[in-house]
Amino acid sequence: GDALLPAPQSISILSTNMKHFLTWSPVIVQGATVRYSVEFQGEYEREYTNGSWIPISECSLTTATLCNITEDISATVAYKLRVRAELGATRSQWGTTKGFFSRAMTSLTPPVLRVLADGHHVLVELADMGPSFQFHVLYWKKGQESRVWQKVVKEVSSVVHLDTMEAGAEYCVKAQTHVEAINRSSSFSPTQCVRAQGDTSMWL
Amino acid sequence: GACRVSMSMAEIRAGFTAIKADIQSRDPIRTLSILSHPHSLHKLKSSDRCCITHQLFTFYVDKVFKHCRTEDSFVNRKISSIANSFLSARRKLSQCHEQNNCMCGEESREKFKQILANYEGLNVTSAAMKSLGELDILLDWMEKS
Repeated sequence: GDALLPAPQSISILSTNMKHFLTWSPVIVQGATVRYSVEFQGEYEREYTNGSWIPISECSLTTATLCNITEDISATVAYKLRVRAELGATRSQWGTTKGFFSRAMTSLTPPVLRVLADGHHVLVELADMGPSFQFHVLYWKKGQESRVWQKVVKEVSSVVHLDTMEAGAEYCVKAQTHVEAINRSSSFSPTQCVRAQGDTSMWL
Repeated sequence: GACRVSMSMAEIRAGFTAIKADIQSRDPIRTLSILSHPHSLHKLKSSDRCCITHQLFTFYVDKVFKHCRTEDSFVNRKISSIANSFLSARRKLSQCHEQNNCMCGEESREKFKQILANYEGLNVTSAAMKSLGELDILLDWMEKS
């Protein structure tokens, strides 16, 4: 029977940078190990398959109170999630997320970047954030804030060459992420400035 | 004006690639094609491209995905992922259609009529599974033309 085991409470979705996790409060039964199973439902399931639910096998009979749902929230539509507790043959009622979740609601953090001066060259190192992300890198010569260049970086390789600097000049850089699938951008990272090394060439 | 619809082709392609072998193994009738019989999608005029894309997305959303439920949870999850992506893209295509930016010529109407005839020539589960198994034909055509 299902009545004895309470449904999980405080069900919520934590979503940052297109990584989505379902969490819930543990169901406590003295001296016993409670397990949980998670299912999801997209807009397609609500409209075309009578509101059917699809189990997430990695989160079936799990003892964790967290489930990585990123792989299944893979379209920009409204999803619902539900979780129930299981103890032997006893199952609780389903606890369902309140309202809908769309990946467009994910919170986007500014990219982590490191700006380097290599001789006369301005280079930037960007931390890889996964295939959904591209980067808008803005750079300018210090003191000429009105003349800003932009470079769109779609695939993070090791280092990105931004520009060749004038000797002794200082260049400043900041960047934001952009996610095409949800058409949103993060806020900008803090600005970082580097100075080109002075001219080392000499006439003999 | 033109009809510009942004959709994550890479995500759809990745989802389909993950289940392609499984889905195609469930299609015993290898001699028939739903999308390519008698003519390939590539023969269509580019002016008909938007309309046939809209019709095909409607075809997959309305007729195909819901008849492809399997006993395999992984396959079902990937089908759900593709179906929800198609639903999202179809909505944008429908908006284009309503704004008369996605007009249907005679050729695309004929082609879509043929696809429906191919589909209705089989029992619904076989037809749906075969159509899903041919998704890469549609994706290739969308990316190449």
